[in-house]
Amino acid sequence: MTFSFSRRSFLRGMLQSSAVCVAVPILDRFLNANGNAYADGTRMPVRFGTYFWGLGLTDTPTGGTRWVPSKTGYGYEIMPELESLKPVKDKVSVFSGFRAIGDGRPNLVHWSGHASILSGVAPALAGRFDGPSFDTRIADAIGTSTRFKVIDIDASMSRQPVSYSTRTGVTFAMPETTPVSMYTRIFGAGFQNPNSDDWKPDPSIMLRQSVLSAVKDQRQALMAGVGKADQIKLDQYFTSIREMENQLVVQLQKPEKCEACVIPTAPKETPRSASVDSVRANTKAMARMLALGLACNQTRVFNFVHTPGISETYVAGESKIYHQITHDEPTDAKLGYQPETSMLAGLVMQALGDFLVELDVIKEGAGTLLDNSLIMAFSDTGYAKIHSIDNIPIFLAGKAGGKHKAGQHIHSTGESVTRVSLTAQQLVGAPVGEFGSGSMRTAKPITEIIA
Amino acid sequence: MRRHSIAAALVTIFIAFMPAGPGKAQQPIRAAKWTRTYVVEWNEPAMYYGAKTGVTDPGTDCPKGTNPEPDWIKVLVDAGYTVEEAKWLRNPANPTRSPVHGQNQMAFRGKDRANVYVNPLSTSDPGLVGVSGAIAEGLNLDGDESIGFTSPTGENGIDNNFYKALGCWKTYRGPRRLSSGALNFNDAMRNGQWTTVIVVAGEGADPMNDDHVTVGFYVSNDKMVKDGLGNIARDYSFRIAPDAKYEGILPARTSGGRIISIAPADIMLRDPGYTRDLELVRARVDLTMKPDGSLTGYVGGYRPWEAVYKGWVNARGPVIEVLTWVQLPSVYYSLRRNADYSPAGPGGEKTHISFALRIEALPAFVMTPDGSKEVASVQSYKAMAPKENPIPDRFPFRVVDGIVIDPNAKVQAGPHAVILPPSNSSADQRPH
Repeated sequence: MTFSFSRRSFLRGMLQSSAVCVAVPILDRFLNANGNAYADGTRMPVRFGTYFWGLGLTDTPTGGTRWVPSKTGYGYEIMPELESLKPVKDKVSVFSGFRAIGDGRPNLVHWSGHASILSGVAPALAGRFDGPSFDTRIADAIGTSTRFKVIDIDASMSRQPVSYSTRTGVTFAMPETTPVSMYTRIFGAGFQNPNSDDWKPDPSIMLRQSVLSAVKDQRQALMAGVGKADQIKLDQYFTSIREMENQLVVQLQKPEKCEACVIPTAPKETPRSASVDSVRANTKAMARMLALGLACNQTRVFNFVHTPGISETYVAGESKIYHQITHDEPTDAKLGYQPETSMLAGLVMQALGDFLVELDVIKEGAGTLLDNSLIMAFSDTGYAKIHSIDNIPIFLAGKAGGKHKAGQHIHSTGESVTRVSLTAQQLVGAPVGEFGSGSMRTAKPITEIIA
Repeated sequence: MRRHSIAAALVTIFIAFMPAGPGKAQQPIRAAKWTRTYVVEWNEPAMYYGAKTGVTDPGTDCPKGTNPEPDWIKVLVDAGYTVEEAKWLRNPANPTRSPVHGQNQMAFRGKDRANVYVNPLSTSDPGLVGVSGAIAEGLNLDGDESIGFTSPTGENGIDNNFYKALGCWKTYRGPRRLSSGALNFNDAMRNGQWTTVIVVAGEGADPMNDDHVTVGFYVSNDKMVKDGLGNIARDYSFRIAPDAKYEGILPARTSGGRIISIAPADIMLRDPGYTRDLELVRARVDLTMKPDGSLTGYVGGYRPWEAVYKGWVNARGPVIEVLTWVQLPSVYYSLRRNADYSPAGPGGEKTHISFALRIEALPAFVMTPDGSKEVASVQSYKAMAPKENPIPDRFPFRVVDGIVIDPNAKVQAGPHAVILPPSNSSADQRPH
């Protein structure tokens, strides 16, 4: 038997009567002579991002739903709360019926759901994960050749910055919270226009690199002379130093030209407010900034928080916040669902629709930036009224450079959310064969959506 | 192994030992002739819903429907705040209003701005409309058929003043398994917060008709398992966790599969609510063993009403009030007004209120604490309980007098708090 492999290939086989597949890393044989594009001429980079919003979508206690399509596979119908995804529907797969499984651990409200999706295990304590979030694994796999390994964004206008990206489970990334801070981070000092014809190495970067090189011997000597606990601390510290060194190396190389790269004008500060309109506008502005950062190849991995698990958003002029409404609004007897909650969920999804369109309007090669991306969008809960961790809405948007057979509805009868997480990791080329632990441990990606 | 086997056939000579009090010899417990064992998959206060549709609609129980949401601006103005202050306190942009813990200043609306959560008598009764219908679920606790509600099946003398007091409150009102409170607490239970198992054991040859039956309620540290559809799975094994507090043993008889108490007992169960302790004095059961193997019905008794009120307060008064549409002092007044039992006797202070818990349980294997075998009798395991068996705090934050204080907040709630921000504060920190 002979095999033919391409960059889109997976190693497939059977394990315990189940189909399994493992992504193939980017091999030289798949690339052109320069290693910066695929042999068939298409551009190499695939971007990955998480997109989080709080409070789920609308289910009803009697089994109704405002977001789960009845049709599975391709051609799913647009449900009321998915209306905003219509312009990019063929690039979005919908996952319903998946759940977080606690294995006896209690449901930590507004926490267990997304902690399970990201870390693969229901956490023991609120505010912590019991393992790293999987985006860090993807960043390690595909994020090392850009200026920023990952960019974390919180558009929620919450009182405290929100991020669910963690390498330790204890400390979480510090996100950018405004378009101004994002602009400064991406396009401010240190930004090098990839399309500039008079590119020169930045002397300040060369200086920083030389400083780090100079102390390399001392670092090794210091490591040898301390106890184990300090070695762990130093190792963490020096790991970050090494990452910084890698990023400096990237910045000292002439960047590849990016036809889609457009440098935006600096945004202006806007008043902070958690009103729905403000958060949506902030999301749209930060999505635009992020999209341009991706197009300019400044990063390939991002984590975007629209609203936290306990969303602080409210409709201007109203006294109730969205979170309160999900809990206190009774189910309308005639409609069969919570109408105000559903309306607000629709607005939340509008922000996701805006976000995806921002990526889809940027042309890149024969497709769009969204075509070369994979965004895993998800929430903390299913039926928010009772903090359910069943039927948590999850979407995979973007075609992942052609690996994602997008535009499908996949329905599960209670399987672990980690199957979607594993699938996302494999779609963007992370070297991962299984994910999660306990009842949420899985080696079964969702092969129906893998090209 | 089938769970419904008769224990005597499996364990013919098993002898368990009754825990004994100090100085008493241990008494042997014979294995029962038969046992049925269950895990509680749903439990909620028995609140008869008198409407035909919806969860808040007018019905025979509550002719005007569920108590409406209070006008919080009016509540605050009536308590002495200016309209501007009241509106600012309720404004989501107000930095003193926590999106998680609510507006602490809501507590201070009693006389001289006393904290109404811990001092409900500092304000007049806001008036929680109670049940006015004649039908209720529950049990005849006092044996008097001339006093009380009529059950949906026509039995008289149903004592359930807890329902009478709180049955039109949004958190409790709704069809079976659909009130917001029942959904919340049962979801928590089903996701692993606690597990209750039931053992029914008898001495006769026919489990369906036996004059010598004992019913035992126990806790288990083994969590329920959900099937692919999210329902609790049958026939899983649960080890009894000896607990010094949560346990209930009731003498009963069966008739046509219906398990009915023959004498009251004082028991303590795990409450599907913020009170956590469901202490029942003169408790009784009325349960039915159904052909599909499940168990449904009621366990009821008189419970201390003030503990119920404090449970709600300690769940964070400002949050509970806005989420469940109630002024907590009205709950205090309503429970006190409808209390109908005094442990001290007919002339004593009525510190308890009649109550019934509706139970739905599935067949399960209930094992001895060491997990070595199925239980073969109903007995107390309290003597085997760890000396200290603290239940972890429900909340990852500290509630003091019904509110969560943020020590880093610039403005603290209280009787003397300045409500409106200074005129020179930033735009998003002023009323608008």
